[in-house]
Amino acid sequence: MSDVPLKNPGWAGNTGEFDLTEEEVRGEDFIGERPLHGGHSSVSATMPYMLIEKNPEAELFEGEYQERLKKILTRYPKKRAALLPVLSMVQELRGHVSPESMDRVAELLDLSPAYVRGVATFYTMYNKRPVGRHLVQVCTNISCNLCGADEVLAAFLECTSTELGETSEDGDFTVIEAECLAACGFPTCVQINSRYFENVTPADIPKIVEHLRAQVKKGD
Amino acid sequence: MAYPYVSDVEVRVISKYFGDPAHRRIDTYVERGGYKALEKALTLEPDGVTDEIKASGLRGRGGAGFPTGIKWSFMPKEPTRPHYLLCNADESEPGTFKDRELMRWDPHQLIEGCLIGAYAIRAQHVYIYCRGEFFEVNQILARAVEDAYMKGYAGEDILGTGTTIDITIHQGAGAYICGEETGLMSSLEGDRGEPRVKPPFPAAVGVFGMPSTINNVETLAAVPHIVLNGGEWYRQWGTEKSPGTKLFCVSGHVRKPGNYELPLGFPLIDLIENVCGGIRDGNQLKAVIPGGSSVPLINAEDARKCELDYEGCVEVGTMLGCASVIVMDHKADIVKQIRRMVDFYAHESCGQCTPCREGSAWTARILRRIEEGQGTEEDLDTLMGMTEQMVGTTICVLSDSVAAPVQSSINKFRGDYLELIRRGEQAGVA
Amino acid sequence: MAELVTLTIDGQEVSVPRGTTILEAAKKIGKQVPHYCYHPGMSSPAMCRLCLVEVEGAPKSMPSCVTTVMEDQIVHTESKQAVGNREGVLEFYLVNHPLDCPICDMSGECDLQDYVHAEGRAHGRSEEPKRVFGRDDFGGDVLFYGDRCVMCTRCVRFMNEVEQDQRLTVVERGNRSVIDTFFEEGLEGTHWHGNIVDICPVGALVSKEFLYKARAWDLEHTPSICPSCSQGCNIELHTRDNLIQRMKPRENLEVNGWWMCDYGRHNHEWMNRGIQLEDPLVRTLDGATGPVKWRDALDQLLQHVGVIGEGRVKAVATPFASNEDLGALAELVGALGGGDMVYRSVRSEEEIVLKGFPTLARRKDLAPNTSGAELIGFTRVGDDEATGGLEDIATHDGIVIIMGDELSDQAEDFGREAGLFVYLGDRQSPAASNAHFVFPLTTFAEQEGSFTNIARRVQRFSPALEPPGMARPGWLILGALAAELNNGDAPRTAAEAFSGLASQIEAFAGLTYQDIGIRGAVLNETFVLSEC
Repeated sequence: MSDVPLKNPGWAGNTGEFDLTEEEVRGEDFIGERPLHGGHSSVSATMPYMLIEKNPEAELFEGEYQERLKKILTRYPKKRAALLPVLSMVQELRGHVSPESMDRVAELLDLSPAYVRGVATFYTMYNKRPVGRHLVQVCTNISCNLCGADEVLAAFLECTSTELGETSEDGDFTVIEAECLAACGFPTCVQINSRYFENVTPADIPKIVEHLRAQVKKGD
Repeated sequence: MAYPYVSDVEVRVISKYFGDPAHRRIDTYVERGGYKALEKALTLEPDGVTDEIKASGLRGRGGAGFPTGIKWSFMPKEPTRPHYLLCNADESEPGTFKDRELMRWDPHQLIEGCLIGAYAIRAQHVYIYCRGEFFEVNQILARAVEDAYMKGYAGEDILGTGTTIDITIHQGAGAYICGEETGLMSSLEGDRGEPRVKPPFPAAVGVFGMPSTINNVETLAAVPHIVLNGGEWYRQWGTEKSPGTKLFCVSGHVRKPGNYELPLGFPLIDLIENVCGGIRDGNQLKAVIPGGSSVPLINAEDARKCELDYEGCVEVGTMLGCASVIVMDHKADIVKQIRRMVDFYAHESCGQCTPCREGSAWTARILRRIEEGQGTEEDLDTLMGMTEQMVGTTICVLSDSVAAPVQSSINKFRGDYLELIRRGEQAGVA
Repeated sequence: MAELVTLTIDGQEVSVPRGTTILEAAKKIGKQVPHYCYHPGMSSPAMCRLCLVEVEGAPKSMPSCVTTVMEDQIVHTESKQAVGNREGVLEFYLVNHPLDCPICDMSGECDLQDYVHAEGRAHGRSEEPKRVFGRDDFGGDVLFYGDRCVMCTRCVRFMNEVEQDQRLTVVERGNRSVIDTFFEEGLEGTHWHGNIVDICPVGALVSKEFLYKARAWDLEHTPSICPSCSQGCNIELHTRDNLIQRMKPRENLEVNGWWMCDYGRHNHEWMNRGIQLEDPLVRTLDGATGPVKWRDALDQLLQHVGVIGEGRVKAVATPFASNEDLGALAELVGALGGGDMVYRSVRSEEEIVLKGFPTLARRKDLAPNTSGAELIGFTRVGDDEATGGLEDIATHDGIVIIMGDELSDQAEDFGREAGLFVYLGDRQSPAASNAHFVFPLTTFAEQEGSFTNIARRVQRFSPALEPPGMARPGWLILGALAAELNNGDAPRTAAEAFSGLASQIEAFAGLTYQDIGIRGAVLNETFVLSEC
């Protein structure tokens, strides 16, 4: 389910001053282990995964997802407050939030569809149209930019043969610019689906892209 | 061991276990004295906890620097309605990367701080509003919260004291403005993250219409240490008005970027030259933004005079903000970087207030034109004039944050702008 | 009585109840603080930032729409700081505004035009290309011109808070934010959405029906009362070339607030009736009818009465007629020896309540003066379609008087047996072919008068259109006839006709046009509308 670990030559903290592995820095044993039903209700409103293979037709709020939904609803005094986590669940399964999904969520939470649209479009993480299997978000804000983020972005576009904001022909990649990802000490930071890649330089990108392609082939 | 770089001058209170993966586990945390502060707090009256925080002089680490104890004391003493503690973990100010580290290396420290804070303000529910992009952090935090529930530190009848405090992690969905306290409340309620007019202040009418207090991650992370060791203990570091230690997020053109926990009042130039190993590639220091992208940038000369506390930064015409030090060397393209920041604000403006909605996008367009060699000197006057209209005229301060870098860069680095303008004019003539 | 707070606004002292906003307090002394997002009928998000004023001692300018007054506060709405802020905000509004005033329906009554004209910069500094959203059909009667929008969100809040059918939202954020519906859903099926066009301070939301129909400055505004149900919404009739171009609600907190329903708003084509019935017609002995002068018509009618003598009268009136017309008819019936007076009116199955202003509804009763008719002594007959119930009148052999009821359900032999059949109306009716006298009346839009609404509130309306040909108000014709029969004085004005009514009908006793004023007056007596 989760991203396959990658020996990223540019992972955060590779400074030579201490000897942590990448897994230790990322907290490997905490990541990718969340149950689909959301675990304890206190943390059910977190979104554990971005799936590589999205199914825009996936059934919503069924089985374990329904269980998660029920837990989420117990955590807020007003039903509407569950809107963000519920939209996140939709995206987790379907990869984007379509008008039809908005309508469904509106019905579920007793909201008007227009209201749900207004909220969904306010937040940049909700994809309003389908994206590639790997959504590559390159931070080009100031700290990363000072350290060459524009070159990293250009390299990603070249390596994946895509235009900025467009999805590659094979459906594997959508590359976009991101605002500050709060990893300014590890420039350039790139978020690919749910995972951060830090200290990324243009030289790392062919390896990263190759690795991501391999994930797709495995059908992971 | 610190992370990712180490410095001997650091005073590691809240960042002590950065770089130690074992510390994420509740058993290790408890073994090392974790949740002792919570135990102690629960033996005190809520106001006793608040008094200790007041005594420490701890100031909000999210940027505004408002004294935390005083903020807590605004909450009603006799709750007739539910109270809420909101932990602002929507870290997204460009240049800031401390909360993510605090949460992923030491999640229980934050949870303990949240529980103590909730107890002090008589809240039975804490929402940790965690930035949406932090999938991995969310998962670490989620495990930690589950463990805290399992071990009886959170939930009903905490440690057999009869106190009930729930914690809920709420994941954001990509909006910088949700880091503004009232924007966060709107977002938590399932609405567009639009800031609200104050008054009413959150302590009177907060999330779900109930009295609420909002604290930054770093603020709450310091709370267990203060409760355990006393307010006076915390004052051994820092200055009279800005006591304690603070995480400085250093990024940009330094040799060793990273988070460094230092006493407030630490000289900026010392941080850059010594702690961070100086400017990379042997280049010269040109400009520093000492508090995250929302504060005015200063030139090298002012940087040499700047002491990193709330007052010291004001003295050189800037602000400490959230102590996110962005360093630029002499090769940095100031105009491009300012334009990039303004693009960010234009992208993140919620769009409610006219000066911000229209002004930020307009500013970005002018800057881009200048950057592309199509600018004129009048553009600089326009920029100064119109950004003046964006200061103090809106519901929140995002608009002011556009004006700060634009005005300070034109004041301090006018030459950089003029050079681009001249170059463009010459190219046009040729 | 709330505690009063005294403050100074622009050097002028004013006392207002605690809790009043600075903007409302300023209004009290005649100072209009410019604003877009604030509307007295909805919540204030304080986001347009135009109403910022200088408050001495405050660190920055305060939004006057949400800042409540404080004792001894000193406020400046015209200071350099306040005016400078407005100049700045207005410039921001124009950065992306298309300035397409020549083709904008709002031109001439637009708050952006007015404010910029008054306080804007002489020259805008923006040279950048403008953002373009284009035009969008919101469904119903509404078109949206996104580029003109000032993002005040009044329309969103109206649908959310007042109609409480959240069809509109702000989509996207920042500079890309725009008002929209849920994709293709639109406003179709909502009942009050016309109001969002009214409250839009600029030309972003316009009425399809009114699009390119008239320039605002060519319209004459006449205060009136909506005739489309018994609520009696206060309205203005906007006319040009002696035609109603549109109807707009007129503020009256006791009746309709700032609002009116779409049904009433768009039900005005019938008022522009053209020339249908413009001369008094009298049937001669050979059965043909022909136009005559009023004086002759009335004389002949009186002669006819003299010939057949007094007898049982049966009168049918429309509740679209004014109190004055109905009163004059009642008086005439009395003068002729009395008889039955009935009315018919259309009742819809449901009331359409405006949820956020629940004293306002499109009432079941789709006539404006049913209460008046009942009070004056008319009894309801027929069904909810305003048909039937006239069986005994159709074959009555005494005097039959029809006022305004078009008898559209009646057979052509209606009134053939009548000894005297008088038809008064604003248009021809096949069932009136047997009438001995056909008199052209003015519509409410062509005369002065009053209606009594469902809450027994008497409200006046003014003539907005020139009457066609010889058409005259019912009270003038009927009043003259009654005066002749009673040897009394005929009313010369609507006010006199109303006085006549007040002297005859207990419910109206003591009330004068002056008392009613422009806001209306509620009748005292308890009174129950018959439900037949």
